[in-house]
Amino acid sequence: MLNKNTAIKIILKNIDGPIISANGHISRNLYSVKDLDSNFYMIGSMGLASSIGLGVALKNKNKRVFILDGDGNILMNLGSLTTIGILAPQNLVHFILDNESHESTGGQPTHSNKIQVEKIGKITNYTVFKIEKILELEKVLKKIRKMKGPIMILIKISQKSKIGRRIEIKPEAIKQRFSKSLKN
Amino acid sequence: MKNENQKWMCDFLLENGIENLVGVPDSTLKHFIAEGSKLKKNIIATREEEAIGIGTGMTLSNSPTIIYMQNAGFANSISTITSLVKLYSIPLLFVIGWRGYLKNDAPEHELVGKIQPKLLKLINLESRVVTDTNWKNNSKWALNKIQQQIPCALIVRRMNVE
Repeated sequence: MLNKNTAIKIILKNIDGPIISANGHISRNLYSVKDLDSNFYMIGSMGLASSIGLGVALKNKNKRVFILDGDGNILMNLGSLTTIGILAPQNLVHFILDNESHESTGGQPTHSNKIQVEKIGKITNYTVFKIEKILELEKVLKKIRKMKGPIMILIKISQKSKIGRRIEIKPEAIKQRFSKSLKN
Repeated sequence: MKNENQKWMCDFLLENGIENLVGVPDSTLKHFIAEGSKLKKNIIATREEEAIGIGTGMTLSNSPTIIYMQNAGFANSISTITSLVKLYSIPLLFVIGWRGYLKNDAPEHELVGKIQPKLLKLINLESRVVTDTNWKNNSKWALNKIQQQIPCALIVRRMNVE
């Protein structure tokens, strides 16, 4: 099974565009792997990375917009999948790093081992990929370059990845540099 | 607020910088929302926090956005307003229907209606109550606030209960 940092490193090597990352360890790991002006680190407001990503995607149709979500986060905002499915932005790619747990709060189960989020993705009009190995991830990231969204890539990852460092940039600065990056 | 004033307020805001409406429907704001839909500027979200998320993404993309909801939904959104809107200073313009303003409103609105002004103050979200006579001035006030990157709210009271 992939580890979270490895998955994020492979994703970053293969994509180019704004990233909206879920709160908790996911944003911290993204920040540690590669800090970019075009990363929007969502610090609080658990669940809303997919909604923020939808808003960005609708207003930046010339860019591919990437959401780096977690299983706990998406289960908290399942309604966003219906809104994304209905509005169907072609430039939206939704990664879900699924470790079947709330890792940031001590590894409590999310139950995504029993309810398959990728199935919910399918019925809400996403094109869905489920990944369990590094090679599969690299292959899918190349494949989706010419595909239209919304695309969901659910990646099964192991629990207890190395925690990234805390984000040291002030929230207002995260906002300003992200907004500015969208103008390019 | 009268039907036509709701419509005109929506037109006025859209003519003066607002580009999108995102929210959860409220009967108090029925004609305001209908105008946004008619002009194809409206997205209906599944819940208020989701609407705030979408509006945040739009605002980060330099596209000013109104988030509309009923005050019950505002109470739902407190954590998102504190940990996203206020934390990052996202200049969203909230339009909130105030149920429970009248004493004879439906029982589920009574307590939340009573604490509505206090909730706004506690989370330090600047607001104005709009009426049939002051809606234009208060809309200008709100547009000015979001231009200064300050989120704010316009409150529409429920004046009749069916």
